[in-house]
Amino acid sequence: MATKSGCIFIQRRFASAAAAVRPSAAEVRSHRNAVFLREQSRQRALFPRIEKIEVSMQGPGLEGTLLVMNKGMSTPLSCARHLTEYHVTSSVLALVDGELWPLHKPLMDSCALRLLTFKDRDPTAVNQAFWRSCSALLGQVLETAFKDDFTVELLRSPDVPVTSGAFCCDVVLDPQLDSWAPSQESLRSLTRGAQLLIHLDLPFEPLDVLPSVALEVFSHNKCKQEEVVKMASENPTGTLQLYRCGDHVLLSSSPLVARTGLCSQFEVTALHSLGSGPWGLHRRAQGLSLPTQLQAHHTVWNKLRKRAEKLVRKS
Amino acid sequence: MAGWTCRFLLQRGARLLSPRTESSLFIACRRTVKTTTWFEEHLTEDNQEYMRKIVGEDYRKLTAERLNPLKDEPWPRHEWTEGRGRPKFTSLLHAVVQDCHVLKYLTKDEYDGRTAALLVGGKNVSPFHRSESEMEMFRNAGVPPKQKVSTFKVSDNAIIKPGTPLYAAHFRPGQYVDVTAKTIGKGFQGVMKRWGFKGQPATHGQTKTHRRPGASGPGGDPARVWKGKKMPGKMGNIIRTAHGLKIWRVNTKYNVLYVNGSVPGHRNCLVKIRDTTLPLRSASILNPPFPTYFTEEEEDLAEDLYDESLFVHTEPSLALT
Repeated sequence: MATKSGCIFIQRRFASAAAAVRPSAAEVRSHRNAVFLREQSRQRALFPRIEKIEVSMQGPGLEGTLLVMNKGMSTPLSCARHLTEYHVTSSVLALVDGELWPLHKPLMDSCALRLLTFKDRDPTAVNQAFWRSCSALLGQVLETAFKDDFTVELLRSPDVPVTSGAFCCDVVLDPQLDSWAPSQESLRSLTRGAQLLIHLDLPFEPLDVLPSVALEVFSHNKCKQEEVVKMASENPTGTLQLYRCGDHVLLSSSPLVARTGLCSQFEVTALHSLGSGPWGLHRRAQGLSLPTQLQAHHTVWNKLRKRAEKLVRKS
Repeated sequence: MAGWTCRFLLQRGARLLSPRTESSLFIACRRTVKTTTWFEEHLTEDNQEYMRKIVGEDYRKLTAERLNPLKDEPWPRHEWTEGRGRPKFTSLLHAVVQDCHVLKYLTKDEYDGRTAALLVGGKNVSPFHRSESEMEMFRNAGVPPKQKVSTFKVSDNAIIKPGTPLYAAHFRPGQYVDVTAKTIGKGFQGVMKRWGFKGQPATHGQTKTHRRPGASGPGGDPARVWKGKKMPGKMGNIIRTAHGLKIWRVNTKYNVLYVNGSVPGHRNCLVKIRDTTLPLRSASILNPPFPTYFTEEEEDLAEDLYDESLFVHTEPSLALT
């Protein structure tokens, strides 16, 4: 017992020394932002001359529509802006030649484009992307919610299906917070933070990068660097997808939705402890959200919310 | 409701027109759009059925008799003394008591500074057409949302814990009650139906004057019409109380009260029943269940309770000795 407390004491002494050396959260964020912007402008500069591509639209009422867009600059969102405001507000993802494409990613070749919404006949892919984006949003809220004295490590969140009841964000908090259990008031303040991000309607900007750039982006974070290496090995093309929302940069293996304003009802429901792992005490933050096009009555919402408080196990 | 109707129309209207004119339509008809919806708009059919079923089951669970091994003890109960008010409750017409629960207790200071009050609600309704702020009170009491909520002034030793169900056996036969309800609305009525004026004769030279009020007041001295003059106007649909109605029979199984006389309101309307305030009849309330009838304690009550002077139709009418 004495050795354990002694170890903790020593850890804390060294931790506080390391904290003095470790850059603050704001500095980390601005560094990641700077690297992301640099890479983004570099990729944009690869197309100095405007070359045209032909995009044929598919969808209800759009058969035969042919749009002439710019190569490497036009995104599926700009195609939607050529159509109507309804298409702009309701599109979530795009299907480019059968492949899921984030809405803000530039188009490279002439292709067939289909805009996906929540009200399609088969919205499985869209729902899954929505769930992933909500979990990314929850991660962003958790990173910015704590005071500067406490570290927050975002782990790779499990890709749970929509039918599991809640989206999860795995996180490891500062060791000082191991015994902290959030009250309803703290969950509500996290919800408020998320609602603010939703109100700002920030787009999820995608970027395909090489692992070296990703390692540079996450140079302050060992956990994220390990994740980068693992993801790069899983991907056949060897590139990674980074997304930027506001000034928060995150990794994702699959496409995310177009913008944060697509969620309307968002609530952080619970924070469960999973047990200790290699980085510390693993915690799973869970939340529930519904898009603007599919809002629920308060009775239905309360039912869903009660279910979202239960721990979701990765199947 | 008008807000999202507009949005519904905009969306429907947009699909009818060609894509060219859609954007101009949106710019021209920009209004603030409310995002409330009917509860089943975005649910699949089996989910809609599930929601309806589960709400019914929840209500049954909430209103079922429950054991109370919980920390919040039932509130202390006091002996009945003459002159104290009892809580009374809302029920359906023809005195079928349907799902009455005590919702809230307002202390003397919260209510009017003189007497305490209890909010009582009757008849369950669906939660899908009630807003969240209204649902809050029902959620705190742990009961399903009610159609009508009314206030009863009670004395301090007659307060009941919110969430307690109220039954017809709260009243006993031989007791006198006051029944309050909204009268049947007759619309705009003339002076003969509304105030009982005599009108004018049908014949003997009356020109176009058979149901009119006639003179409207004295003459030169006031030189005006008094305030409150009886004239044609909207009749009915106002709250009225019938005092001193006797209860002859109480059915405890189906929660029915059989009450003498006529009661304001149409068939199947909600009425509020109180112990009578008439001074000569209030003495008839002898040893009532105080503060209310609890099924756990008085389980040996017969299904039908009759007044002493009432002939029970199931008994033999003649006894030959």
